[in-house]
Amino acid sequence: MKRARCLLQSARSAAQYGALLQSASSRQPNPLRSTQHQVLRCFHGSPAHAKGPPVPAEFINEDDKKGDKSVVVHDDLFERVAKEVKTKATFNKVVDVFIKGDVRRRGHVEFIYAALNKMPEFGVERDLAVYNRLLEVFPKEVFVPRNFIQRMFNHYPRQQECGLQLLEQMENYGIMPNIETKVLLVQIFGEKGHPVRKYQRIMYWFPRFKHVNPFPIPQHLPEDPVDLARFSLTRIAHDRDAKATVHQLPCTDITESGEKITLPHIVGIQSPGQVELLAKHNPSRPVFVEGPFPLWLRKTCVYYYVLRADPTPPDEKVEEPFDPERCLDYPLQLELDLDRDLGDEENFDVEDLDEGPVFAMCMTGRGEQAVLNQWISGLQEKNPILGRVPTLFRLDAGPRELQGVAETESAHHHGPEPETQTEERPPQEEHKKNLREQWRKSRGRARR
Amino acid sequence: MYLPKITRLPSVRLLSSIQQQLLLPSIPPPTAPRRAVSQGEYRRPGQPKEDKFPWQPINFGFSKGFEGIKKHFKLLKKEFSDRWVGPEGKPLLEHMLEQNRVMWEFRGPESLEQWTVSSDREIGGQSEVHLKLGKNNNTCFLYGTLNSTPPRDGETRYSGYCTLRSEQPRASFDRKKHHDLSSFNTLHLRVRGDGRPWMIGIATETYYSHQKNDMYNYFLYTRGGPYWQDVKIPFSKFFLTHCGRIQDDQHPVWLDKMNTIGFTLADKADGPFQLEIDFIGVCKDYAHSEEFAYEVYKRNPEI
Repeated sequence: MKRARCLLQSARSAAQYGALLQSASSRQPNPLRSTQHQVLRCFHGSPAHAKGPPVPAEFINEDDKKGDKSVVVHDDLFERVAKEVKTKATFNKVVDVFIKGDVRRRGHVEFIYAALNKMPEFGVERDLAVYNRLLEVFPKEVFVPRNFIQRMFNHYPRQQECGLQLLEQMENYGIMPNIETKVLLVQIFGEKGHPVRKYQRIMYWFPRFKHVNPFPIPQHLPEDPVDLARFSLTRIAHDRDAKATVHQLPCTDITESGEKITLPHIVGIQSPGQVELLAKHNPSRPVFVEGPFPLWLRKTCVYYYVLRADPTPPDEKVEEPFDPERCLDYPLQLELDLDRDLGDEENFDVEDLDEGPVFAMCMTGRGEQAVLNQWISGLQEKNPILGRVPTLFRLDAGPRELQGVAETESAHHHGPEPETQTEERPPQEEHKKNLREQWRKSRGRARR
Repeated sequence: MYLPKITRLPSVRLLSSIQQQLLLPSIPPPTAPRRAVSQGEYRRPGQPKEDKFPWQPINFGFSKGFEGIKKHFKLLKKEFSDRWVGPEGKPLLEHMLEQNRVMWEFRGPESLEQWTVSSDREIGGQSEVHLKLGKNNNTCFLYGTLNSTPPRDGETRYSGYCTLRSEQPRASFDRKKHHDLSSFNTLHLRVRGDGRPWMIGIATETYYSHQKNDMYNYFLYTRGGPYWQDVKIPFSKFFLTHCGRIQDDQHPVWLDKMNTIGFTLADKADGPFQLEIDFIGVCKDYAHSEEFAYEVYKRNPEI
């Protein structure tokens, strides 16, 4: 680069030139990194228009990682590095090798496409600094249109599409670009090019949609399964007063015969409203433990179990009057004759689906019946009625994440159980359920 | 400014880009595929172009038979008799004063006929989606598996989506009818999801063929869990997209001729999903005075 004869240099005295060089090299590294190079750039503004003699390849290219220049498939660069550990540092090293290798940045478009594809392998796809480093691979100021004709006709379309693809990958991963990205894009493509327009769109829409989720999930979920279970249970509880209780922490026990038993974690949640509902439940009707139901948090799927009962038939429903002393600030029930007509109807003309009350939810490491029984016994402290009520288990054989359609169908038992549900269950299960019922009853009696 | 042509996908609606044509080669090949705007359906990359006249795919035979005639004349009779009841088949007072309207409630198998499901199987992907009635025949249950491996056709870059879309309402003899929601301002849904984020898309009747893939979208974030979730989205929040790409020139959705409403899932998380919908209704929220949530002035001035 220094071999180029600059018109600027010839106009200045040698002393001034030396001073400029020194000041440029001693300047603090600022976000506009290429200003350092701009001082030495020639009149046309880029090394591509260098007037000096072309430099022989072997003098520039001393790093053996670059390989031969004939037909460089840029994936090979990353593959060669990939034999070591794939980290951000090695990725940056490859990019540095490419940048230092050739002033004209031959094949930079293919290199950037290859780098964008390899980013997830190196684990840097969510790193803004890496995207900015990749943008620096583009030669600056070459692709900036200089008159209205160039601006009209999609100046350097291939490079513009490459820049667009880089920004699109950032958009897909939800990464917000910063001012350094904008400065780089303006330097490379000019202010009216497609990449800068796309950057402007990202900066307009991303802040608008950042907080649009009413149930936000943090980017980094807790790794401890107990914390994760607590977070997801408070999320689905639909009640701010619900408290999650850890019935069992994961631990490994060694029994007398020397076998290792790992006990899974059991985290349950129950709100005061649910406690009241369970207390009012008719002991002669059974309660069901159903599951596992999937819950997705970004990319992870966790499974939870539900303790619920069938809806009470209409003849058994008891309308309890509101206790006026429950709330002394305002009346809970108002008898007003509001003269409302068609124009004031606020509710939808839809019958209310009564699916039966939900009494508690839980999440465990292993969805076996023994583990869920432990959960029920843990619940019994606050809900003594569970000792008298028959509990039926409607479990599907273990949670699986990626399933075929048939298994997926059987895993979904959401919703109310009509009276005709029993014929769906095979008779052996019914027998097993009766056994379980008797076992639960006997356990309940023993507890009391 | 000239932009490379983006493939149009009539049955696909996504905010983030699903597909994009690759770079134009520097020397265009002599038979570069060029789809005119007026040309119809999406052609999967790799499939041969069909050289048929426009009238050849239409079925003129008598196979539709007597059932078709009965159905259409019944609809025609109903249209005539509805005029006596009031505008759009409702009494005049109800038409003028209604504050809530239930558009779709899933209370029987015939309600599922008004909906179509589709997934990226159409472009060669591997996602699956199915629709059935939930327990007690009271809700609709949309379930399936998402798979975001893109199909290997050399063009498609992203994949992995599933949609549920309502059918365009039809009058007698398959004439198009529209939903008139001009007296409402909020969409009310009762859903039970599994925590995945969905996208709601409203397609309205357009005049120009360039606007064929225009859709007004907004997000539907499900909480997950065993409890039903009431979601109220004012129509002023819906933003305009075309082929899944959000547009620069935004305007509020025109509600007088709504054609279809759809739900799309494309959250790049591979695995099974499920969504239960109890009912979809529209209501007039007097407390909501916003006309449009996004700026309407020109934001990207011309070169």
